Amino acid sequence: MLKITAGEIKTVSQYIKDISGIYLDASKGYLLETRLSPLAEALDCKNYSELQHKASRDASKKIERQIIDAISTNETLFFRDKGPFELLQYKLLPELIDARSGGALKRQLRVWSAASSTGQELYSVAIVIRELLQGNLGKYNFHLLGTDISDNAVQQASYGKYNKFEIERGLDQAVLRKYFTAFGDSWKVRDELRAMVKFQKFNLMQPFTGLGKFDIILCRNVAIYFTMDDRKKLFAKLADSLADDGFLVIGSTESLTGICSRFEPKRHLRSIFYQKK
Amino acid sequence: MTMKTLSLLVVDDDPVIRLLLCQRLTKDNHMVSAVDKGQDALGLLRGDAQFDALITDLVLPDMDGIAVLEVAKSLRPTIEALVITGHASVDSAVEAMKKGAVDYLTKPINFDELSLRLDHIAIRQGLAKDARDILLAKEVTEQEAASTIQALEMRVSELQDALTAAAAILRDGGRDQEDKISQALAILNRT
Ligand SMILES: C[S@@+](CC[C@H](N)C(=O)[O-])C[C@H]1O[C@@H](n2cnc3c(N)ncnc32)[C@H](O)[C@@H]1O
Repeated sequence: MLKITAGEIKTVSQYIKDISGIYLDASKGYLLETRLSPLAEALDCKNYSELQHKASRDASKKIERQIIDAISTNETLFFRDKGPFELLQYKLLPELIDARSGGALKRQLRVWSAASSTGQELYSVAIVIRELLQGNLGKYNFHLLGTDISDNAVQQASYGKYNKFEIERGLDQAVLRKYFTAFGDSWKVRDELRAMVKFQKFNLMQPFTGLGKFDIILCRNVAIYFTMDDRKKLFAKLADSLADDGFLVIGSTESLTGICSRFEPKRHLRSIFYQKK
Repeated sequence: MTMKTLSLLVVDDDPVIRLLLCQRLTKDNHMVSAVDKGQDALGLLRGDAQFDALITDLVLPDMDGIAVLEVAKSLRPTIEALVITGHASVDSAVEAMKKGAVDYLTKPINFDELSLRLDHIAIRQGLAKDARDILLAKEVTEQEAASTIQALEMRVSELQDALTAAAAILRDGGRDQEDKISQALAILNRT
């Protein structure tokens, strides 16, 4: 494996922070090595500085994308932590539907999975919505958006195909049969579920122009990779993108203390969600 | 990493091969159950015993080795299978691999080769077990951390509210100083 020098750890991690917000301190040299050496070797780079230069000079940004794919941790599972999905099914979605009902027009209900990785989180939300509304789904106008910085992750999410290890984690048999079809050794999300969601590439470090307001935002297990400063900026932008009566859900081991004072935590059963003050 | 002792099910109708297999595999520190008929193997697979791997001859007196393999896989999806085939029947070995066998051995059996294949299976199963253990440990740690963090998050928010309320009272002009202080203290004492 190509060895990384102390100097390279500094410059390469600064470069990664610039393109993705993902912050790796000096102790993460091993992580850079294990994740970037295959790419460096495939591109015939003598060292990591050369990889970085190639990436910066590459106008197509292909190498930059490959670096992001290699560095980002896409670990996720269906119904991760369970609690937030019970929260959605029994509290947040019913309250929201209540608040948005009435009037002649079908009002849009917008849900955003802000670091959707390979899609399990957003598909879990779609399943919860279908279970909650059953035959009444057509009465509502749900828009479910998943975004992620990793091209590979967005691609897999859009394709909606999962291998048996991904499926085993978090899905019970009844849900699996109802919403997935066997596809060789893997499983594919059924069309009716696939049609409810949309995935696109988006970097959370950028301004949120053009995204509009959301009623529910899930921003789970991504800010943990950013510096405090970037976390503050991120949650300020999320506050701007959330409807006044909307809900924010963060990762179950995350906290907004010291990061954003515009949100107020509220507890329901085993979970916490946030609303704007 | 843990190098596992494997629990093996051997199916072969040749008593000499069965004996040799048992001797060698036991010497390699595995646990072996050996039977001569496919039906007996299926009987064991339907029972309580746990098997990590199945080693079966493809030609058995009462049924096809591939059928044993298929039933074994359907009863125990995680079982690994090695098939033994005559020198001339590589086609059926390929067929067995399509049905989920990880490897095949041709007769006469090279026991060192078999040992090596089983080592690989043991390593793979050891890694899979380690991965499952790590996931489980991660889940427990995460749950514990989540409930601690959530309790702290709610507590900080309550304290923050109390401080804001106390500050508002103290800032509020026009009232008696002592009165303001005792009101603010009352709020702080309540939280
Ligand atoms: C650990 S996954 C979390 C997935 C899911 N939200 C969950 O909690 O299971 C983190 C994801 O954040 C993405 N990510 C990292 N930096 C990002 C950025 N600047 N903008 C958008 N997504 C980012 C990674 O590509 C990765 O898929």
